Amino acid sequence: MPTVLLIDSLVRSLQVGSLYALMALGLTLTLAVVKLPNFAHAELITLGAYVALVASFWGLNNLLAMLVLCFIVTAAVAVLSYKAVYKPLERRKPSIYTMILASFALGLILRYVLFLLVDRFDFFDKRIKIPLEIWYQSKTMILTNIFFWVVPTSLILIILLSLLLNYTNLGREMRALADNRALARVQGVQVERVYYFTWILAGGLAGVAGALWGIYTSINPLTGWLAILSVFAATVLGGMTSFVGTILGAYVVGLSENFVMQLLNHYLGLDFSFKPAIPFIIIILVLLFRPQGLTGFMDGFRTRAIRRQTNP
Amino acid sequence: MNLLTIDKLTAGYGKLTILHDLSLKVEKGQYLGILGPNGSGKSTLVKSIFGLTDIFSGSIKISGQELVGVATENICKRGLAYVPQRQNIFATMTVRDNLLLAVRHLRRPKAHRALQDAYALFPILAERQQQSAGLMSGGERQMLAIALAWLGKPQIMLLDEPSAGLSPLFVIEIFKLLRRLCESGITLVVVEQNARSLLRWCDYAYVLREGKLAFEGSSSQILADEETVKSYLGVGGTAFSQRIAE
Repeated sequence: MPTVLLIDSLVRSLQVGSLYALMALGLTLTLAVVKLPNFAHAELITLGAYVALVASFWGLNNLLAMLVLCFIVTAAVAVLSYKAVYKPLERRKPSIYTMILASFALGLILRYVLFLLVDRFDFFDKRIKIPLEIWYQSKTMILTNIFFWVVPTSLILIILLSLLLNYTNLGREMRALADNRALARVQGVQVERVYYFTWILAGGLAGVAGALWGIYTSINPLTGWLAILSVFAATVLGGMTSFVGTILGAYVVGLSENFVMQLLNHYLGLDFSFKPAIPFIIIILVLLFRPQGLTGFMDGFRTRAIRRQTNP
Repeated sequence: MNLLTIDKLTAGYGKLTILHDLSLKVEKGQYLGILGPNGSGKSTLVKSIFGLTDIFSGSIKISGQELVGVATENICKRGLAYVPQRQNIFATMTVRDNLLLAVRHLRRPKAHRALQDAYALFPILAERQQQSAGLMSGGERQMLAIALAWLGKPQIMLLDEPSAGLSPLFVIEIFKLLRRLCESGITLVVVEQNARSLLRWCDYAYVLREGKLAFEGSSSQILADEETVKSYLGVGGTAFSQRIAE
């Protein structure tokens, strides 16, 4: 296989994997803390992409300002959706299925409102207006300014989020709620307040991820929905509620969709149109053989190591 | 002086009533035992104090302030702490993160000092600091659970079966520790099925049966007066009276 193709698919894997990680972390956060598999997360991603697009058409070309704007708008929509839909529902002590259906419904409503607006102002399949520049070129590799925006921004946000979760009181409260809600309340954790912060973080990250996605490729109102399947695959691969697992899962999905797809295409002649099937295959395989996800495997490994230390 | 007063409490879960018109009081500095056979409502009683059940009528007052209707997450601010029987630690977090969560309201130097105090009182936790709490033994978990409650600087600590599932050695360890906490000025309310070992340590006990008060007295009184206890609990009918009689 030509080296150019190989390296190009690895670069794409890294780029897409970082974006999946940003999207999946928000999803895992709501799943772990609020106990809601939020399908409307997809529309927050699309919304972020469109906020960036509209801002760029209005002449905003500072990328950092654009990302901050997206974070604020989607975080606000996420908080609003909690206040208007999930919180009133929660008071009726619904089953998890009710909550999933509600998130589906909310997602559909947001998606078709977006469709109407996009249709009205003719924003189908547009790319965010950021001039494409080549920042690095060699015989085998071309890296654009987009790569240098997408990958470091995602990594910085992932690092910031993990610092927040591990070293701040808010982070400990979130993890405590994810672990044992009743005990967290006994310890005086203000559930409502932590939920709001969770929605702000999850929504904001989805928006930023959507904006970066829109810089990387053209967008339409289905962008988030198509991405969310890969994102769910990353979350499942990470064991549903583990943050480290989710990040690893996102890169594994990114690699499978690009690098592995490229290999399959080159050696077995598999058509690229099979690419959307990859996340489904991953979800089914993980649920069949490793329902505890990647980190479940690492936890088992660690337990054995500790046992060996304590009883030699 | 009464620190905690429970008056005509009727409580349960949904349509199920478990406690019927129960009244009792806890004095400041007391080491109080709540005894009774399985299903007598002991756990429901402490859960009710923490707002984790449905309260149908009656009142629960701490230093004269009403607790019924206060949300669970606001009760620790009133000087109460609760150690549930099961799932009483954050198993996926490290021991240190568990403790840091309990001192999160303090400023950094104070929090650091509180943590050092906890390590002095519970030396095993200092050794296990970086370990995931879920990987500890039953006794170590119980120590961590008590430390979590203790770090909130409560006036009164409620413990639900702290000796359940522990080895006899650890049971003694836990009861010794509780005695020390009581001597440091914390009022204790301990729910136990293991009546004989608790009565050796506590000052006063209430015996519940079918959600009602069956008997009360100082622990020496209860230990001495086996016949009374038996008649309250039904002769030889329950594991509890058998254990008392042993």
